[in-house]
Amino acid sequence: MPSPSFIRRKWITSAGGKRVIPLLLLASGVALLALIPLSVQSTYALHIMILTFVSIIMGSAWNILGGYTGQYSVGHAAYFGVGAYTTMILLQFRHIAPWYGMWAGVGATIVTALIIGSICFRLRGPYFVLASIAVAEIFRVTALNLKDLTNGAEGILVTELPPLKFGDTVITDFTTKVPFFYTGLITALFVIFVTRGVQHSKLGYYFQAIREDQDAAHSLGINPALYKNIALVISAVFTSVAGSLYAVYVGFIDPGTVFSLDVSVQIVTIAIIGGIGTILGPVIGAIVLVTLSEALRSNALTNALIHAGLVNADSRVGVFLKENLSHAHILIYGILVVIVILFMPQGLLGFARRIVTRKRKG
Amino acid sequence: MSIFVQSLISGILIGGVYALIGIGLTIIFGVMRVINFAHGDLLMLGMYATYFLFTQFHIDPFVSIVITMPLMFLYGAFLQRFFINRVLDALPQNQILLTIGLGLIMSNTVMLAFTSDYKILSTRYSSSSVSLHGISISLPLLVSFAITTVITIALYWFLLKTDTGQAIRATAQDREAARLMGINVKRMSIIAFGLGSALAATAGALISPTYYIFPQVGSSFTLKAFVITVLGGMGSVIGATLGGILIGVAESIGGVYFGSGWKEVVVFVLFLLVLLFRPSGLLGKSRT
Repeated sequence: MPSPSFIRRKWITSAGGKRVIPLLLLASGVALLALIPLSVQSTYALHIMILTFVSIIMGSAWNILGGYTGQYSVGHAAYFGVGAYTTMILLQFRHIAPWYGMWAGVGATIVTALIIGSICFRLRGPYFVLASIAVAEIFRVTALNLKDLTNGAEGILVTELPPLKFGDTVITDFTTKVPFFYTGLITALFVIFVTRGVQHSKLGYYFQAIREDQDAAHSLGINPALYKNIALVISAVFTSVAGSLYAVYVGFIDPGTVFSLDVSVQIVTIAIIGGIGTILGPVIGAIVLVTLSEALRSNALTNALIHAGLVNADSRVGVFLKENLSHAHILIYGILVVIVILFMPQGLLGFARRIVTRKRKG
Repeated sequence: MSIFVQSLISGILIGGVYALIGIGLTIIFGVMRVINFAHGDLLMLGMYATYFLFTQFHIDPFVSIVITMPLMFLYGAFLQRFFINRVLDALPQNQILLTIGLGLIMSNTVMLAFTSDYKILSTRYSSSSVSLHGISISLPLLVSFAITTVITIALYWFLLKTDTGQAIRATAQDREAARLMGINVKRMSIIAFGLGSALAATAGALISPTYYIFPQVGSSFTLKAFVITVLGGMGSVIGATLGGILIGVAESIGGVYFGSGWKEVVVFVLFLLVLLFRPSGLLGKSRT
């Protein structure tokens, strides 16, 4: 966790000096975001924003372990799934409301993370990557087979949520998307704040030292196993929260949607496309990926092509695109990943920064 | 007892195909130090090529290998030349992501072309079997094992006896030293990736009469390929051969005694145990 004294100092200098302007910008941006549900009536727009928030949480959470500590886990689906399944199982079979169940999910995830960490962190580089995948796959197959607990391949479907009450006043009954919007927004802001804390705290310096050179860090008295596990727990907790949020929002989970390798890859992709080891990288990655894949899924891209007169709607190509492009939204993930890795290995954020500095110089 | 022998034999037979997949991955890793996450997708392409040749031109899946293999060699060489070669000096996670991205492009392009429906390639011998002392053996598995054996022997001969094969092995041992000895390392990388993808596609062709064919079939084989190569020691061809057969047997026997749903868990637990206690693989080649 970020050291409190450090943050306080930062805020004080902010109030006195030139940092006021970005701070004001940030505050007004957040206020603007918070006002969106009041003015935007389209549930579809809200839906996309909720998905973006969940993606930001997932990407930022991975970033703490992968970006700052240099442990490239391709098995984060394990934590996402444990959070999602714990919350949904408690909700469906024990009638425990998700805002309590979520914390049970977090608890289960911490235990899971410590077990996985104690196994996988003995390994380095490609071996660590492979081990993390194997662990997530064990979870997927287990969820598929423990039918009494998880409903197996059928998955868990929840259609009704208990209303959230404070005393006797009903705060929300979850019939609209608005409560999910605020939950997502607040959690996303919180995880960004934590990332900021990690980047500038002693803990974060330990993480980055391990990323740069584990042996050198070790020789300077940093215990790699301890700090890798701390990074993993922070990362896993937020991934688990994202999983719970996603599960409750969508109302349905099965082993394929929350435990599969695709989920792990998606989580890594969000961070890498934006730029790993940066605060805003996963945010940018999430916005770009969600927008693009939704544009494909909803056929917006095909319609745009037809509107622009590039493709005739009745021609064979037009019909083909309309029928099929919406199924291939993952294709955009693939193409983006390849382009980013080949041409902007520092991610979109790093690429933008380089262009800006180049312009300033020239 | 007969159940045990039965599953042991079918495990060995399917293990032969797994060995091909593993050998392909291990050659790629050995020469380039890149873990190819698109390996299962290359296998998937091989399956679809076989399916296409069978339904359009009525070419028998086992015969169509002579077309699929060279085609997929060229495709692999193309991937190496234009994509993988550019990230050889990049961070390992970027290499991994590049191959993941390529795999996603392959599986989703196939999905656009063939839809995500499950396809079945049924030949007249798909479900026939031979009986031997009360133990029945699936005929397509037996034929595919025979073909795998031939290919594996040819591959060993190529790697051990020919100049190109020796150059590939030299590159795998020490890239810099090989370069100093005048070996065209880039060309060896292209050949290695071509070989790897040709082997994966051949494995795909061989199992296509007995497996469902669908665009996402690759990922489970990618995982299996990792298990096999780590088991045998990354970069070791003999290790991958033995690892493939071992995994085939573990799956087959695990499926009988733990139920078919749990057989993958058996494989992954085995994998983690090897990673933890013998990270250099069962044959103990060097780890770096």
